[in-house]
Amino acid sequence: MYIQLGLVVMSLLPALNEKNLPWIDVIHPIIVHFVIAMTLIAVVFDLIGIFTKRSNLFEVSFLNLIVATIAIFIAIIFGQIEAGLASPYGSSKDILNYHSTIGWSLAAILSIITSWRYVSRQNNPNNLSIGFLFVDIMLAILVCIQVYLGDKLVWIYGLHTVPVVNAIRDGII
Amino acid sequence: MISNNLFTSLVYIFNNILSPITEIKDYLGPNDLPYKIPIHPNLVHLTIGLFAIGIAFDFAGAFYPFEKRILRFLAFPVTRVGFHDVGWYNILAASFITFFTVATGFFEMLLAVPIEGVKSIIGQGAITTMLWHGVGGVLILFILITMTIWRGYQRFVYRKDFGRQVSWSYLFSGTIILLIMGLHGSLGAWLASDFGVHITADQLLVNGKEIGSILQ
Repeated sequence: MYIQLGLVVMSLLPALNEKNLPWIDVIHPIIVHFVIAMTLIAVVFDLIGIFTKRSNLFEVSFLNLIVATIAIFIAIIFGQIEAGLASPYGSSKDILNYHSTIGWSLAAILSIITSWRYVSRQNNPNNLSIGFLFVDIMLAILVCIQVYLGDKLVWIYGLHTVPVVNAIRDGII
Repeated sequence: MISNNLFTSLVYIFNNILSPITEIKDYLGPNDLPYKIPIHPNLVHLTIGLFAIGIAFDFAGAFYPFEKRILRFLAFPVTRVGFHDVGWYNILAASFITFFTVATGFFEMLLAVPIEGVKSIIGQGAITTMLWHGVGGVLILFILITMTIWRGYQRFVYRKDFGRQVSWSYLFSGTIILLIMGLHGSLGAWLASDFGVHITADQLLVNGKEIGSILQ
């Protein structure tokens, strides 16, 4: 009975295309535009804001950080679905594991940093502590590492690209 | 026999002269690039992310009178000027970075070796997709710069004394450009996912090389 129930559930799932996806293209790399661009530009605007003493740039980076924090959770949802369908091979399995671990950690780290920014802005929105800037830069470095790992999955291992999916289905890889 | 010889010499000519890439073949990796990970797809994150969120925040600034009560109810410490600041600085940063996005895109497109005989989901072949993506990329750079200049004029001249810093036509144009950018980005995505451009595993598989020894 459980097997039949399982079959019914399976038949409700959408069919997978030639990229082993239930939708046309990978969605995770599109959502991460907003995490990568917003976290990196927040650091840039913080630095420019400090050096040129333009405190209105601090609000710009704060709002960008909020966008990044919202986007990272959506990125994780799609990332998990697409990672589950990626069937990684060889050392891309390890890279995918690191990418997932850092991704979930980044969600927590970004949330903490953005709320810290909110609290410190309640005190004085025209001031940015050097401590925050340091954490900001650490965050940017972590994001770059995460991007590098994701890049490897796509550009070296070709996960969710047609030739690799075909090779996996044919049992070549 | 003669025709066979002729054929092999033709193949030789095609393999050795037709493509300028063959000149520097020895310097390139299996992904047809002198480095392992293409740069253009990474800069694209910044172009699209910054432009999209810039326009989004100008929308937020434009509809501020409607959001005011909710923001106050949530005790959220933002101002209308702040929203428009994001709209301005993000599109400024997007314009700046897009020069590099286009430059790296052209460099990597010159070295692209797409998989033969493949059609994308809208029925285009590799070269058609690359031409549209290349010419479209330059056009989008041009449009982005025009939008940035327009945005700057509104901020500092035309609408200096207005609460709503952007005109409705600017917001409308931004929305249309975002839709075009989405399609344009899809062309670029297919160059990777369908045509296997600069993807090590795809290139190895297509050339019948052993994938395991390099990637495992």
